[in-house]
Amino acid sequence: MDAQVNPATQEVKRLQRLINDLVSLLALPAIWSSNEPAQIVQVLLDALLRMLRLEFAYACLKDPVTSAPIEILRIADSCKLQATPQEIGMMLSAWLKQAGDNSRPPAGSQFGKTDISIFPVPLALHGEMGTIVVGSERADFPNQTESLLLSVAANQASIGMREAELLNKQKRIANELDGRVAERTRALAQANEELKKEIDERRLAEARLLQEERQLKRSEVHKAAILDSSIDCVIAIDHEGCITEFNPAAEQTLGYRRNDVMGKHLADVIVPSSLREKHRSGFDRYLSTGEARVLGRRTEMTALCADGREIPVELAITRIPQDGPPAFTGFLRDITERKRNEDALRAAHAQVVQSEEQWRSVFENSAVGVALTDLTGRFIATNPVFQKMLGYTEEEFRQLTFFEITHEENVEHNRTLIGELLDGKRQQFQIEKQYRRKDGQPVWVRNNVSVVSGTERMPRFLMALSEDITQRKLSEEALAKARSELANVARMTSLGVLTASIAHEVNQPLSGIITNASTCLRMLSADPPNVDGARETARRTIRDGNRASDVITRLRTLYSKKEPSPEPMDLNEATREVTALSLSEIQRVGVILRWELADDLPPVVGDRIQLQQVIFNLIRNAVDAMSTIDDRPRELLIRTQRDEGNQVRLSVKDSGAGVTPQAAEKIFDSFYTTKTDGMGIGLSVSRSIIDAHQGRLWAALNDGPGCTFSFAIPCSPEGLSDAETPANRTDPADAA
Amino acid sequence: MELPKARGGSERPLLSVVDDDESVRESLPDLLGELGFAARAFSSAEEFLASDCLAQTSCLILDIAMPGMTGPELYQELKRRGQEMPIIFITGQRDETVRARVLKQAAAGFLLKPFSDGALLSAIKMALQDS
Repeated sequence: MDAQVNPATQEVKRLQRLINDLVSLLALPAIWSSNEPAQIVQVLLDALLRMLRLEFAYACLKDPVTSAPIEILRIADSCKLQATPQEIGMMLSAWLKQAGDNSRPPAGSQFGKTDISIFPVPLALHGEMGTIVVGSERADFPNQTESLLLSVAANQASIGMREAELLNKQKRIANELDGRVAERTRALAQANEELKKEIDERRLAEARLLQEERQLKRSEVHKAAILDSSIDCVIAIDHEGCITEFNPAAEQTLGYRRNDVMGKHLADVIVPSSLREKHRSGFDRYLSTGEARVLGRRTEMTALCADGREIPVELAITRIPQDGPPAFTGFLRDITERKRNEDALRAAHAQVVQSEEQWRSVFENSAVGVALTDLTGRFIATNPVFQKMLGYTEEEFRQLTFFEITHEENVEHNRTLIGELLDGKRQQFQIEKQYRRKDGQPVWVRNNVSVVSGTERMPRFLMALSEDITQRKLSEEALAKARSELANVARMTSLGVLTASIAHEVNQPLSGIITNASTCLRMLSADPPNVDGARETARRTIRDGNRASDVITRLRTLYSKKEPSPEPMDLNEATREVTALSLSEIQRVGVILRWELADDLPPVVGDRIQLQQVIFNLIRNAVDAMSTIDDRPRELLIRTQRDEGNQVRLSVKDSGAGVTPQAAEKIFDSFYTTKTDGMGIGLSVSRSIIDAHQGRLWAALNDGPGCTFSFAIPCSPEGLSDAETPANRTDPADAA
Repeated sequence: MELPKARGGSERPLLSVVDDDESVRESLPDLLGELGFAARAFSSAEEFLASDCLAQTSCLILDIAMPGMTGPELYQELKRRGQEMPIIFITGQRDETVRARVLKQAAAGFLLKPFSDGALLSAIKMALQDS
């Protein structure tokens, strides 16, 4: 159809289209104004694609800010090419480099498998802003018109992009400016705020100042009130030392009238004359050098009263904080009373210290052990004697209670006593008990325990004064043992003595037996035999044999029993038996024996053998006491009688040398003896036997020569009814 | 057995026994009789001194321990009276000091009770020979 069209008409149409395209391109900046470069290029590429009926249009730009490459690809809807902008960029890059300097590469270049004429268009003069590549299937692409359009388009784009770049730069600057303005504004606002605050504070300060002023006024009123009512003396002076204030307390304490002293020099008023010079020099020194010795602290001084008295005062001087010449306030207090209290307190304290020292000294140097424990018995303090006594140190004691070192047998009793002490049932108690030393050895102690009432600082505690009586206990034990041994020895001794006298006793019938038997034999051997005589002597032999047998029996009875066995017995009978055993001894010494045995004697309950030993002892002693007497008869009186208080008495009276009153008690002690050959144990054993019978054994000097030993023991309860019958009672005097 | 002659020409010499023990006074004279002596017994020294036998007694058999005057005291008394005679002390007490003392004081013999008839006879013989 085109061939039929008028070429001129065609040329006109082409030119018109060209003008339209050019107008479109020139109008583009209106569209893309203020747009980003990428958007400008995009619009441009779209316009070229449509205008030139291109297969594709590609652009590679440099980001004006970051210089990063931006690739954009536009492909015609009819085109079968499918690629991303990066893929196209890769394909073109080699060719682009090659064609770098050649701004106009030859048309009709191959692109991919399809024959596409591609044509590069630099942006800006030498492509500084990037490159546009366009491709068309037409082999003659680009023709003259198309080249013109492309270059115009590229030019337009370059201008648009530059403008956009400029715009961007302007924007950035504007933004920056805006930021700076904003910042400055903020700073200004803050400054403003601070200023406001400052103003407020100033206002507040002014208000406060105002209030303080008011308070100051009020406090001056207060001050006056304080001055007037103060217990302390308040005296103010100016820089010359003249009194400017003198409150009522000062008037009262020191006796001056305010009106009289105001304006006067302080030193002339209350400073004692002896201290005036010192006061003046101190005051002057302060004024000239500022060196203060009394300022700002409490000192004790002497003040002179109006009546001439000097009193101790406590003084505190402060400088009045004010401008101008210095002024001072003195606070002064009469401390006479306090001084007195202090002195008393000091004296009391000294006394306490002294008494504590004394007590400590007593504690430390005491000859007896002293232990302080708490109420559970735990040791608090122990003195050296106590520590030495038990072998523990002070520290070790503190881990112990005294129960832990007390012998098991004593603990229960000890605990009971402590309980009574703490309950207030007793003030103190004494206990003899056994401690166990640290080394395990037993220690006997006598403890005097009391509870010490507590003080504010110290709760109640127990105090034990402890005396080591181990030696005494051992002695006692030894004594008890010795006594029992002595009793045995006494028995053996009296047995020995008895054996001698028994021998005599037995020898007499024995002597008769032998003599009679000899005679009997001789009579039977005679010619003719004297049968009658022999019968008589044989009869006497039997009789004497029986008599000897009786003696032996009595002896065996006397010494066979060991354990005391109380039984009702007739004291008269027992006395007769013993006397019979002693008879030969009595006769040997030439003693005349008399009996006075009461007929109505009630039975007694006792150990027959023991009582007979006592009687035997008394008789033997009496006989011995008379063995050396030559100038008077040796007389022995054995008497039994009823005594007062349902007692039976036996007395053995001799006419011997007697005992002195001093010796009368001592003779009952073991080993005391006036005899040169005696053991002196008979009487002590005798007394212990009588004691065991609830009786009494004693000695008394006779009116005449010699003395009487007696014992009295209770009669048996069964015997009482008989004995009480008056008919059976015989006065002892009658019996004598 | 040859017996010494009694003082005073009698056939049988008189032996006096002084002892407070009845059994001795009872038995000893019979034995002495069997031994061929005349014998008299006294219960105390005082009784003997009061008797009429002092001069006729050839030998005195004397107990040492007696109530009242003892044997040694009787010896002293006889010596004081000049009527000394041989004395055989007899005693039940085995006391060596007494034995030594009485023998020293011119006792003719000392017999401890009980004694055998043989011992008694030899003591009597000795005593009578000494006199």
